[in-house]
Amino acid sequence: MPAVRPTVPPRIDETATTRTQLLQRATVCGGAVVGGGIVWGLSQLSFAAPSDEQDARVFKLVLALEHVKAAFYEQALARAGLNGELRDFARTVAQHEKSHVAFLEQALGGATESTPRPDFGDALKDVDAFSAAAVKLEDLAVATYNGQAVNLTTASLTAAARVVSVEARHAAWIRSILGEVPATEPTDAPASEDETRARLRDFGVDVG
Amino acid sequence: MELLLDDLDTRGALREAAEKAGISRAVFLGGTIASVVAALSAPAAAEAVSRNDIAVLNFALVLEYLQSSFYTEADRSAALHGKAAAAARRVGAVERAHVKAFEALLGRQAIKRPAFNFAGTTESDRPFLKTAVAFEDLAVAAYKGQAPRLRSKQVLASALAIHSVEARHAAWMRYLFHVQPAVSAFDDAASKPKIERVVAGTHFIVARPRMEARRRPRLTG
Amino acid sequence: MSRRIVAALGAAVVAACAVVAIGKVAVGAPAGPTSSLRGAPLPRAPRPALSVPSPRDLADSRHVSVWTILVRPTTARARPDADARPVARLARRTPEGTPNSLVPLGRAGDGHGHVWVRARLPVLPNGTTGWVPRRALGAYQAVRTHLVVDLERLTATLLRDGRPVLRAKVGVGQPRWPTPRGEFHIRNRLTGYRDPFYGPLAFGTSARSAKLTDWPGGGFVGIHGTDRPDLVPGRVSHGCIRMRNDDVLRLGRLMPVGTPLTIR
Repeated sequence: MPAVRPTVPPRIDETATTRTQLLQRATVCGGAVVGGGIVWGLSQLSFAAPSDEQDARVFKLVLALEHVKAAFYEQALARAGLNGELRDFARTVAQHEKSHVAFLEQALGGATESTPRPDFGDALKDVDAFSAAAVKLEDLAVATYNGQAVNLTTASLTAAARVVSVEARHAAWIRSILGEVPATEPTDAPASEDETRARLRDFGVDVG
Repeated sequence: MELLLDDLDTRGALREAAEKAGISRAVFLGGTIASVVAALSAPAAAEAVSRNDIAVLNFALVLEYLQSSFYTEADRSAALHGKAAAAARRVGAVERAHVKAFEALLGRQAIKRPAFNFAGTTESDRPFLKTAVAFEDLAVAAYKGQAPRLRSKQVLASALAIHSVEARHAAWMRYLFHVQPAVSAFDDAASKPKIERVVAGTHFIVARPRMEARRRPRLTG
Repeated sequence: MSRRIVAALGAAVVAACAVVAIGKVAVGAPAGPTSSLRGAPLPRAPRPALSVPSPRDLADSRHVSVWTILVRPTTARARPDADARPVARLARRTPEGTPNSLVPLGRAGDGHGHVWVRARLPVLPNGTTGWVPRRALGAYQAVRTHLVVDLERLTATLLRDGRPVLRAKVGVGQPRWPTPRGEFHIRNRLTGYRDPFYGPLAFGTSARSAKLTDWPGGGFVGIHGTDRPDLVPGRVSHGCIRMRNDDVLRLGRLMPVGTPLTIR
């Protein structure tokens, strides 16, 4: 199990490292050009630049997702009637999601206040429902991480990349168990923050 | 043993470009992919991709060539059975699509496809699956190692979109090979030197043989 | 300057820009779903740099042929088994010094986890096949071309992806030294020699003359130019396939080594 760094080196973006540069940024915030420096137009709001604050917002979003998944597998093991391969899958993945939750909470400096504790109801009424929901959730995790990772600072990106591939493995694994083609697309499309929230709402989970 | 350029530069294209860019032959002969590709001056295509990103893309392209050639050869050999054969066909189609995308973006800057001697791993079910697992896990680790080095967010978006697909493939092949598809909660990145060592250690990349001779024919006439 | 201050400054600039930006963006901006996280939604991922096409199965493999070299001398056997009857000993190189080559026809495992490959052998009688261990072979290379020589019509046709891209008249073996019929492959190119008898360019094939068994170099049939174009087309040679010099040069630009050769 890798050592996880909970804090990332503080930076505005990958090029600003001195106080002088930071102050220069402040003066160009509205979109002026400072002698050969970066043009901060409306399309390049400081939001787009990686930052600690943005990393935290991203991590909060994916943490909410990981909480949902951890709860899903925990509840599935308790009442979805899983056996054999599916049970082994759920047990392993539950452990992974717990680890993901722990990592993200540590990165954010401790457990967050609002931890979604969804009740999955019909999604866990039987093995088929569980399987279909698991595919959706794993695919959603991949799409969410891929959608958000481009926003992250280098250190956070490095960490997030270590998680997203595991989610992708989960997705192909459950499909393999179901006898479906484990991967059909040549690329995995990213999901925006809105899409992630919408897809979680389909599970009756509101992380807003 | 590093993945040396001479192993890859099968038609001399990279050597030619390097000479044009004034890179000394010594650097070239001892050079890794990145050092020479990074030194080439002309930008790739319509959107100027940075030299740094071109080097990363070419590194990824070598791995995509490795995979697409592997699956394509397996598919053509018609020596695999059942799900292994189906995997070679489907995953091969995806890796070939990846190669086309890289070649289109890199244009003249694309590294040339090497010749591969897969030593029977494309012609027998178990060796095929074992090698496929290794290749896919390798690709996941490689993309993970390179992604943070990319300057362009657009290239990064592409790298991430492919990285997770390779992870799906890895789980797919592991499942067929009857090993755990996802062993750990966190996958490790691998550095470029590590990847190059692993690939070189397979001895799969070979020089294209010279089939031409400057000799007077001794044919029946 | 401590890291924390840099970070705090950073945060302050971000916040300041945020306020300014929201002020500018809010006008006319569509009302989106609300977020408990302060500020505008997280940025969407940018357009990816790579444009990946739809995956496609291999195009018709009918026109693809694979060839490979011998990386070590080996014994071809009657069955895929190290104890099976030897059929022929294969040298690593051709008489011209180029690597010997084979066209794989099939594979089998030997029960010890080794792959064996069945191939046509460059031995007499033409058409002899045998099994060689995979480890004696090199990289598999694919070609999309196919050369068809018609001994009745005295023509050579080069096909690429099944479509003719070159047609030429040929001179073939005299009746007492016939050009053999069958399936073979182009195994090397010879250049840089000064012998007008063979023209500017010659190709070695895996076909053997059944009559000229004592010929130096083994009596392999070649495809080459000629200093007697007046004899092409015709049944004029010791077995080789002769072309007019401009045709053989064109062939040289279009036909890679390893191309399968059908002589009918």
